Amino acid sequence: MFTFAKTVLKSFALVALLAGTSFAFTEGTDYVKLAKPIANAQGTLIKVFSYDCPFCYKYDKKITPNLVPKLPRDLKFRPFHLKTKGKYGVQGSELFAVLLLKDQKAGLSDRDLYTEKSLLKKAKMAYYTAYHDKKERWDAGPDAYLKTGLDAVGMTKAEFDKAKNDPQVKALLKEWDQSYDVAKIQGVPGFVVNGKYLIMTKNITSIDGMLQLINELKTK
Amino acid sequence: MKLSEMIGNVRSNPIGTISQWQDKRFLWIFMAVLSLFMVILAHSVFQIWLYMRPCEQCVYIRIAFFAMAFGGIVAALKPSNPGFKIVGYLFAIWGSFKGVLYSIKLNKIHHAAHSDDLFGVQGCSPEPTFPFHLPLDKWSPEWFKPTGDCGYDNPIIPDGAQLSSLQKAITDFYSEGWYLWPPAHFMNMAQCTVITFGVILLFLVVAAACWIVTLVRKRQTAAQTASASCHGKLA
Repeated sequence: MFTFAKTVLKSFALVALLAGTSFAFTEGTDYVKLAKPIANAQGTLIKVFSYDCPFCYKYDKKITPNLVPKLPRDLKFRPFHLKTKGKYGVQGSELFAVLLLKDQKAGLSDRDLYTEKSLLKKAKMAYYTAYHDKKERWDAGPDAYLKTGLDAVGMTKAEFDKAKNDPQVKALLKEWDQSYDVAKIQGVPGFVVNGKYLIMTKNITSIDGMLQLINELKTK
Repeated sequence: MKLSEMIGNVRSNPIGTISQWQDKRFLWIFMAVLSLFMVILAHSVFQIWLYMRPCEQCVYIRIAFFAMAFGGIVAALKPSNPGFKIVGYLFAIWGSFKGVLYSIKLNKIHHAAHSDDLFGVQGCSPEPTFPFHLPLDKWSPEWFKPTGDCGYDNPIIPDGAQLSSLQKAITDFYSEGWYLWPPAHFMNMAQCTVITFGVILLFLVVAAACWIVTLVRKRQTAAQTASASCHGKLA
């Protein structure tokens, strides 16, 4: 009986020791390995999002702006808009892709995408507030939808129509098409490390916990 | 049967009485009608008439109610037939159990959506995954395709829709989302369905247990009488 108690005690001590080290995250509960990894995504944290998603809005208000500046230096942050969600997902993707490239051309780094300088952020927040706070549904059609974002960044429809045919925009949109296979698993927002590991949003309990997990997955 | 008589029966022989109840049609039909009423209310009144769009969990809750309705109808065909009754119990218990789980999840999402505490839930899936991978949203999009946002069930009135004064009044009443009593935000949709599913599940489990106990007792008495008559013969 005594030896049994001792064994139990020892195993508890071992578990406590292991839990204290960095092996606290488990595959299947904290993250899943993507069956179809995102191409050319080594060294990135990808955020799959949609304007038509309340939790994306919540994350972009409270979590991501605080998370991105604290990301490890060798990890690049990349937003991917999901075109298959929402009535105007396709138009949203086109506009966000145009604005992201414009931000990059203006010299903004991935860490600046949550600053006031970012056009992407301006348009995104305009859509979030219109859709989620003001319950705007743009029943008048795609042009009405585009107007909300274009007005927020001061771009004309003609400028946008020209910019969206840029081969770089097209290439980015093609990359973003991979969002669907990620979003299918647990919805959006979805965070993917190195294009391979999808974080289970449900089990995120704090920004620091999320950073720890990202750091661990990065080296995998 | 008078109410006083019924209460007397439950007191003197609770297991036997409940077992008798589930041998009759009434409760099975009651459950089926209640389940169908809930789904039709959600679809035809709240979704179609009042423009409150169903979310992912909401369409799962519908399938749970449909399973209970189906189970109730099958059992009600002939409640004394064990085969029908077992099918009835399986569908109804499965439906109400899943219903409780879906409702708890929806309640968590609802809480996260309406507060700053957004950890612990996952986002909204762009497409539903139904039990057994049934493509219900393809078969019947109007009933099973989620078009709403998780955690938000306030009416969204399309531009140009002509509302009657009654529609206008009710959509205004629910403008901050569905609550049993909207002005006080008292009991959201998920909390109401979890109670409905939970009560029915509890009742089903108790009724099934009473049925099984009664069957076992009957067997034992039959065996005792048989062995008693055997002894009688030997003597």
